[in-house]
Amino acid sequence: MVTYAHHDAVDAATAARLVLEAHRLGRTSVEAVVLGGPFAGTRFVLREAGPDPLLHFEASGLQGAERDVLASAIADAARSFIRGSSTPGPRAAHTGIQEIALPDSEPVEVYFELYPPTPELVIVGAGHLALPLSEVGRLLGFRVVVLDDRPDFARRDRFPAASEVVRVDFRDPFANHPPTHLSHHLLVTRGHRFDCECLRQLLVLEPPPCYIGMIGSRRRVRATFHQLVDEGFAPERLAGIRAPVGLDLGAETPAEIAIAVAAELVRERRGGTGLPLSEKERIAERFFGNRDAARTP
Amino acid sequence: MNDEQLRILEALVEAADSGRTAVLATVVRTRGSTPRKAGARMLIGRDGVWAGTVGGGCGEGEVLEAAHAVLADGRTRTVRVDLTEDLLTLSPAVCGGIMEIRLELVPPSPR
Repeated sequence: MVTYAHHDAVDAATAARLVLEAHRLGRTSVEAVVLGGPFAGTRFVLREAGPDPLLHFEASGLQGAERDVLASAIADAARSFIRGSSTPGPRAAHTGIQEIALPDSEPVEVYFELYPPTPELVIVGAGHLALPLSEVGRLLGFRVVVLDDRPDFARRDRFPAASEVVRVDFRDPFANHPPTHLSHHLLVTRGHRFDCECLRQLLVLEPPPCYIGMIGSRRRVRATFHQLVDEGFAPERLAGIRAPVGLDLGAETPAEIAIAVAAELVRERRGGTGLPLSEKERIAERFFGNRDAARTP
Repeated sequence: MNDEQLRILEALVEAADSGRTAVLATVVRTRGSTPRKAGARMLIGRDGVWAGTVGGGCGEGEVLEAAHAVLADGRTRTVRVDLTEDLLTLSPAVCGGIMEIRLELVPPSPR
């Protein structure tokens, strides 16, 4: 069952207002613009409107029975977009054109723009690494939250890039900050036992957070995993944790480490290989290899 | 929603609310290697770009030209920016793909 509220057709500015309103409530919306056929230019906004985001939409831009047919086809497509958007992994849902089949007429092309809720980056541990991490997190468009139990570290003024800085008790670090499937967690605590506390809580969540990264040497990561396996956590579950976190860039300073972590977050979002593009493309070698070799004196 | 989407939407609402006419350019389809993919947006006014980008030097001149045509007659149009032809010339369009960009007028919102 899908419920619609019917409104007059929306223009670009009205659509923007509707999308921004949903955004402020942390809800997904989809904007759809019909590109061809008798309804070319018609704009729809579908917003997540109820407790079950997959069922309840408010659709703006509908009028008349014919448009309803188009609207429900678009709503179906939009719902599959939203389903896709809540699945972790590389680019599950795309902004772009889809062909919508219509009864008794030619299919029409519809441009979809997906506006998922802003993903959250929860940095656990407010030490020296958290500073550059909060900056790159902000740059990448995350809503950044920093958690720590030490009042001297969990200070608002230390983290201008964060939306929230919260003092927590590590025995229950997410008590006031329940993780969702859109949360990205970075564990950069000052000790192995705090990492364990956090992982114990994160690993039992259903659905799991879309990203858990943990800083640490091989030794520290191994010790943490060892303890969790001893406690009965399945090794397969641990395999999903990005630990040690970040791409292998040889990073050493906090800023370098933050960039390596940021690179992994981008890769998670977009699905790249993580290789240098020059090594992946090898343009000189593939296209100019022999010729250049021949020219070399 | 990412920051870029947010900035475009806010600029669009602000322009409409303050009585300024704008053109919204949206990359709706791409083929080959293009600087931006579907979803890249740019808001253009009479005095130039207000927010966003559809690809820097690659084809943006053509988009600005089309935007001024939309401002003049109010009609939605789609331009195909072909970045494949001038690959080895001095043109800045060295990206190597084709972008389809839809431009529509965003009139001021009625008060």
